Amino acid sequence: MSYVEAQPLSGRARRRRVMRRRFLRRPAAVGSLVIVVLFVLAAVFARWVAPHPPGATDFDAILASPSREHLLGTDELGRDTLSRIIWGARASIQAGFFATVLAMAVAVPIGLVAGYYRGRVDTVIARITDVLLAFPFLILAVGLAAILGPSLLNATLALGIAAVPPLVRISRGEALELREEDYVRAAVANGANDPVILGRHILPNMTSTLIVQATLTIPAAIIGEAVLSFLGLGVQPPTPSWGVMLNAAQPYLNEAPQLAIYPGLAIVSCALAFNLLGDGLRDVLDPKTER
Amino acid sequence: MNVIRRRGPRVLGAALVLAATGLLASGAAGSVSSNSKAGGTLTIALAEDPDALDPTLARTFVGRMVFLHMCEKLYDLNAKLQIVPQLAAGMPTLSPDKQTMTIRIRRGVRFNDGTPLNAEAVKISLDRHRTLPRSARASEISPVTAVQVAGPYTVRLSLNARYSPLTAQLADRAGMIMSPKQLTALGDRFASNPVCVGAFRFVSRTAGDRIVLEKSPFYYAKNKVKFNSIVFRIITDTSARAANLRSHDVDVIDRIASTDLPAIQRDKSLRVIKSTSIGYQGISINVGNKNGIGKPFDNVGTPLASKQFVRQAFEASLDRNVINRVVFGGTVVPGCLPIPKASPYYDASIKCPGRSIARARELLRKAGATPPVVVKLMIGTDQVQARLGQVIQSLAGEAGFRVELQPTEFVTALARQDRGQYDSFAVGWSGRVDPDGNIYQFVHSKGSLNNLGWSTPRMDLLLDNARKATSLGARKKLYSSVYRILRAQLPLIYLWHPVNRHGVSKTVTGVQTYGDGLIRAYYAELK
Amino acid sequence: MAVFIGRKVGAALIVVFLASVVVFAGVRALPGDPALAYAAEDRNPEVLAAIRDKYGLDDPLPVQYLRWAGLALQGDLGTDSRGLPVSETIVTRLPLTLELAGLALLIGVLVGIPAGVIAAVRRGKASDYAATTVALLGLSVPHFWLGLLMIIVFAVNLGWLPAGGYVPFRDDPIGNLEHMLMPALVLGTGLSAVLMRQMRSAMLTSLGADYVRTARAKGLSERVVVGKHALRNSLITVTTVIGLQLGALISGAVITEQIFGIAGFGRLTVDSIAQRDYALLQGVVLVAAVGYVVVNLLVDVSYSLINPRIRVAGGRA
Repeated sequence: MSYVEAQPLSGRARRRRVMRRRFLRRPAAVGSLVIVVLFVLAAVFARWVAPHPPGATDFDAILASPSREHLLGTDELGRDTLSRIIWGARASIQAGFFATVLAMAVAVPIGLVAGYYRGRVDTVIARITDVLLAFPFLILAVGLAAILGPSLLNATLALGIAAVPPLVRISRGEALELREEDYVRAAVANGANDPVILGRHILPNMTSTLIVQATLTIPAAIIGEAVLSFLGLGVQPPTPSWGVMLNAAQPYLNEAPQLAIYPGLAIVSCALAFNLLGDGLRDVLDPKTER
Repeated sequence: MNVIRRRGPRVLGAALVLAATGLLASGAAGSVSSNSKAGGTLTIALAEDPDALDPTLARTFVGRMVFLHMCEKLYDLNAKLQIVPQLAAGMPTLSPDKQTMTIRIRRGVRFNDGTPLNAEAVKISLDRHRTLPRSARASEISPVTAVQVAGPYTVRLSLNARYSPLTAQLADRAGMIMSPKQLTALGDRFASNPVCVGAFRFVSRTAGDRIVLEKSPFYYAKNKVKFNSIVFRIITDTSARAANLRSHDVDVIDRIASTDLPAIQRDKSLRVIKSTSIGYQGISINVGNKNGIGKPFDNVGTPLASKQFVRQAFEASLDRNVINRVVFGGTVVPGCLPIPKASPYYDASIKCPGRSIARARELLRKAGATPPVVVKLMIGTDQVQARLGQVIQSLAGEAGFRVELQPTEFVTALARQDRGQYDSFAVGWSGRVDPDGNIYQFVHSKGSLNNLGWSTPRMDLLLDNARKATSLGARKKLYSSVYRILRAQLPLIYLWHPVNRHGVSKTVTGVQTYGDGLIRAYYAELK
Repeated sequence: MAVFIGRKVGAALIVVFLASVVVFAGVRALPGDPALAYAAEDRNPEVLAAIRDKYGLDDPLPVQYLRWAGLALQGDLGTDSRGLPVSETIVTRLPLTLELAGLALLIGVLVGIPAGVIAAVRRGKASDYAATTVALLGLSVPHFWLGLLMIIVFAVNLGWLPAGGYVPFRDDPIGNLEHMLMPALVLGTGLSAVLMRQMRSAMLTSLGADYVRTARAKGLSERVVVGKHALRNSLITVTTVIGLQLGALISGAVITEQIFGIAGFGRLTVDSIAQRDYALLQGVVLVAAVGYVVVNLLVDVSYSLINPRIRVAGGRA
């Protein structure tokens, strides 16, 4: 084991302890983590958490006010709003999570390569990213839905594609910086080949930035899913999703505004929790930014 | 540092410049005020953007509303949905063999470009409707083989078969007469600046935004026309339309959604004009359209297609009253026939069945279908269609049907229907005055819109005879038999008749609507 | 310098060309017979064949592309299914979106930049937490929901502002601003949140830098130090953010126009896809892509003008 490799390892373990302590000291970060976990659990265990099946209509109790039976009342077809919000978390968080994973899986390798090799490769990648950016995410999503048909899967795809360019930029930036680090130069001097350098030295040191970015991309994707479902391009009724619920609520803004308020609050709290968490993680993981 | 300070404000200024450009440039975008209080402009909000404003090519319902105000026709309807002459001087006369129709043209009428209306002009328009390659009117007047000028104000139409619905067709777009001068000038691009006979004439149009008309100085009944201009604004979102009416940004709105109705009814400054549509809404079932419209029928093999008992079971599981109440807030008229009660061809002896789960389950057993019976239902993408789909899903689910909803955008859905790529489709028909216009093209073996892939020889015979018969009594009898076959076979499950409700500001009088649901405001005026 | 701009313009042209090909191919990839867009209720096969013939829809794709691109370069984007010239529709509807975007940008800058400066200067204090939380909220609220709520409160219940629609500025300046206020607020919220956070971060970085400490030590007043950095950072921040957020702004404009019933360019993009109006769709998306590239080019150039280091190093936007 060379001197160069020994350094980052033990440093990493030490840093982790420090980070955990710093994280726990921030109430906002801890609080947001709790809320995120709650949402994820609700989404995963919806069947057991929700008081009613999300599709159980009751045509004699449409637009009912809150009661013991229906804590948040019922919607335009007599379905329990609370249950639909819990089940809606499923679609929203699924979309948020998988879109982010997809985006990272595509963007990080590309950004790595662009930042590390620079030159021609970098230019080509930059052009492709530019073309991608030239099509606003909504146009992409509408087009995708038109070609492949609207569905949660296609919405997730569109969201993932849209999240790629900024992530490419960030991983590229990171790679650009990290290639100048001492231990990387030492590894090059020692004769290590590219995949080793990228995989052992550069990528692991990007993880904190990437984690932070992922945690910040998820809420954007959640909101994006809501937008697409609201426009009828994502989840299709009768599957509940917060965006679908908002779409159905739109004609009732006058007579029953609560139909629009509850799903909206759900989106806001979920996205806010992820954003706070991401911020907290950035404070803790990324020593560079003076906060 | 100096360099930066100089360039500093520039970028921030970019935002201001952007906004300012937009503000100034937007002035160029239409300078007609949308507020009716300024200079006698009536603003009508339409629910959709019309397609091409060319009577030969037009296919939209809202297009007909615009045409009412700027493009008169040989015949029109009155409030009782009877056909009355408009550009014709009187009702048409038929030869004894009913295959020659003579129409006298009104004298002293000029197009909105000042050129005169005469028999020659009528012939040119009718020929264009018949023969232009993209014409949407050709199938409507297909029995007409020739149009002759029999005098300066008389035209003669030759038919290759008896065709009672002809006059009704001439009371719609097929009877609209266009200015020959403008046709020569613009040809195919007539829609970019259409000129006909009308109380108002075309000024400008911005796609998806508005259509502007102004009072025509050449109209033969000028003194009946009070407003200086009419602006049709396109507001597709129903709540936005209602909101605009309530804030008096528009004076009239097209089709109030049931969810917006209570607020408008509560508003004392507004009134609602309504009429039950002459059309219908329901579920079209793909029985035999396997290879596309116009190709030979071949049963598609779905549960609904294979046995009529399954279709009957499906109908029995639905509750028209629940649909009315939950989806439409009780604002539509449940029905089970292709024509509404008000039609003289209605048969009151045919009763619409109520819901019966027991009967539905029994019928499924008879058909040998074991639940869950899968039904793929194509619906539209708006909220009303979503509610409808989910209600049908819920109701039919109790009888053992598993309804899978396929929300599909309208143009794509029509294409799928034509290609036979659907199982069932929640779709309707805006309706025609003559029952033939609501039935023939869908269920006759030679029907141009028969995307159900269904017909029977007996049905064909009844429909053909109904076309040839001329007395109301005889036709009524024939259509009654048609209805009974439809009720038994159910290639189409008719569910309701829409009620067209339009909102009108009380500051305006003279706005009407007849059973065809079109807004008529050509002689409207400020109170 | 000229070489640099030239290179950037060249790159932009390539992107525009690629984008046009993508638009063209994408539209062709839409399922369904394009002829059907020109023929709705009556789908007679002869009629469809006539339509296909008239519009050359059966010609080989490269031929169709060249025909379209050639005309587009001359400013003729064809006619839509209503018989109206596409370029006219775009020219009439684009200013509305420009105004909306411009006002949103203005709001974003007027709210976000000062908030970011204050939060940075008062770092750790109550006002910092407040501003940061509000900014996070701005990022977490789906702005179309905000729009719906605003309509409920301000238009339907209070009646202070119109529920939607648009009046040209020239006709009625007050009315125009009344109609645009809520949409611009809705669209500008997300932007101001992003700007605020970027600004704060940039200010903190530069205020903590060595030469600033030196400047302070030299005795320059706090105000001057903050002011200088605020100015420079605001330029960089705004330009960077515009570059990254432009796509989001356009997407946001689409939904905002939908909710508030503004017949602008944003809605045109979505409506043309929904209506399968291919001629309109091609023209619209092309203009959108070109516009995006042009704005990005301007952003890039001005960014490098502000920060010469970027030009030399090859860019790290």
